[in-house]
Amino acid sequence: MSAVVDDVGAKRWVTQCALSRICGICAEPLGRPVAFLGTPDEIAHNALHLPPMHAGCADAHRRTTAADPAWQVVLTAGFEFVRAAKEDDDRRPTFQPNSLLPADSGG
Amino acid sequence: MAISDVQEYTHLTDEEVEQIGRELDAIRAEIEDSRGAKDAAYINRMIKVQRGLAAAGRVSMLAGTWGARWAPRAEKPAVAAGAVLLGLAKILENMEIGHNVMHGQWDWMNDPEIHSSNWEWDTAQPAEQWKHSHNYVHHQFTNVLGYDNDIGYGILRMAREQKWSPFNLGQPVYNAALATLFQWGVALHDLDIERIRKGEKDPKEMKRQLGQIFRKGRNQIVKDYVVYPALSGPRWKQVMVANATANLSRNLWSYVIIFCGHFPDGAMHFTEEEIEDETRAEWYLRQVLGAANFQGGPLLHILSGNLGFQIEHHLFPDLPSNRYAEISVRVRELCDKYDLPYTTGPLHRQYGQALRTIIKLSVPNSWTSSDQPEPPTPSRDRKRRSDAERPPRRTELGGWMRRAS
Repeated sequence: MSAVVDDVGAKRWVTQCALSRICGICAEPLGRPVAFLGTPDEIAHNALHLPPMHAGCADAHRRTTAADPAWQVVLTAGFEFVRAAKEDDDRRPTFQPNSLLPADSGG
Repeated sequence: MAISDVQEYTHLTDEEVEQIGRELDAIRAEIEDSRGAKDAAYINRMIKVQRGLAAAGRVSMLAGTWGARWAPRAEKPAVAAGAVLLGLAKILENMEIGHNVMHGQWDWMNDPEIHSSNWEWDTAQPAEQWKHSHNYVHHQFTNVLGYDNDIGYGILRMAREQKWSPFNLGQPVYNAALATLFQWGVALHDLDIERIRKGEKDPKEMKRQLGQIFRKGRNQIVKDYVVYPALSGPRWKQVMVANATANLSRNLWSYVIIFCGHFPDGAMHFTEEEIEDETRAEWYLRQVLGAANFQGGPLLHILSGNLGFQIEHHLFPDLPSNRYAEISVRVRELCDKYDLPYTTGPLHRQYGQALRTIIKLSVPNSWTSSDQPEPPTPSRDRKRRSDAERPPRRTELGGWMRRAS
């Protein structure tokens, strides 16, 4: 991932995608299912950091040079958007998928 | 000044603020864990009732007008009943169903229809623009002057911190016009007329948004003022008037409910300095202090989309609306425990206070006394911000297709 990211800016963009329900890649309205990209550790903790995406956008983004090779696609119908608490070392908001869907439901 | 320096918080220690946050987190987790079939049945029932009301309203109008030849005395009551039923259907659809579905309150059901991604509501504003102007701009920047465009909808001065201009003398008139034409005011809300007037709006984005509004508005007009009147044959005028009445009643009702959410006495405004580096607990507290509830029975709450629990809706905008009543008991206990204000009152009083604010703020501050604590910062220009001023983009994601201005 590019390091040229203002942390606050990233947080705000992620927040806009979460609340406006737009794709973090193409900025068009999200569809169903909603896709997230996350590392196995993020998935195990059900706390993902990248914004929601279309399944196709997530898949395409996984294949770009900016992608983390460890990323996996998580498909869900809905998600909780969780802002950082004071005690959190990582100040980024997280996403908690709340209705996981099988990998073949991406359309 | 930080949010924790706001007068209503200063008696709390940092640890107490965080403890309030943890207690609200626990309420949230409990509702998430218990969300299930009963909640799904509730929203499905609401949709069924709403569709029944809409169908009954349309059929009643058609029966009244076509039956006028045989039962002329039944025409007026039938058309009037149709207008009432259709008005109720539109209110229910906009307030309890559309607004809440588009918040994602029911996404967890994985229902192909009842989902924030594809619900298009029975009003002039396109769903996509609503999700930006309401879900993001209003809910993230609740009552922050210059950021939350719901403070006065760009035409009303609603806070003493906002600079007065002679334009504000017309507020009572603008307010009446906004209430009457509320769906059209909301339709234009995300366009940001102020930025267009100043030439600051991206023309490409403006054109795209105008196209969406034109198509949605056209469909609404064709449905209510062309197709259904045409189906009524020679008595088309009666149906057209009845449909206009249903739309007007929905406009007035949704305007009153929305204005009761943030403008009664006690609902605070904030400054951009106060939201910097906000923690989750501080964000929760800003929602509590920036929103106002109203009291009423279950039917009133359903017809107002459960926005009588505005505080709870702002704390948990994506939890199912049918759970707000039970959440409100616990939030109120929490506010009592930590001596935090919890603004509520009967609907007529809450709206009366909002209306008084509209009238008072039509004149300069020096002509009237404040009904709120004095603003922490002096009056100055608090222009509406564009998204470019709100959220820098996440550059590592690459393919940004269009500017969201």
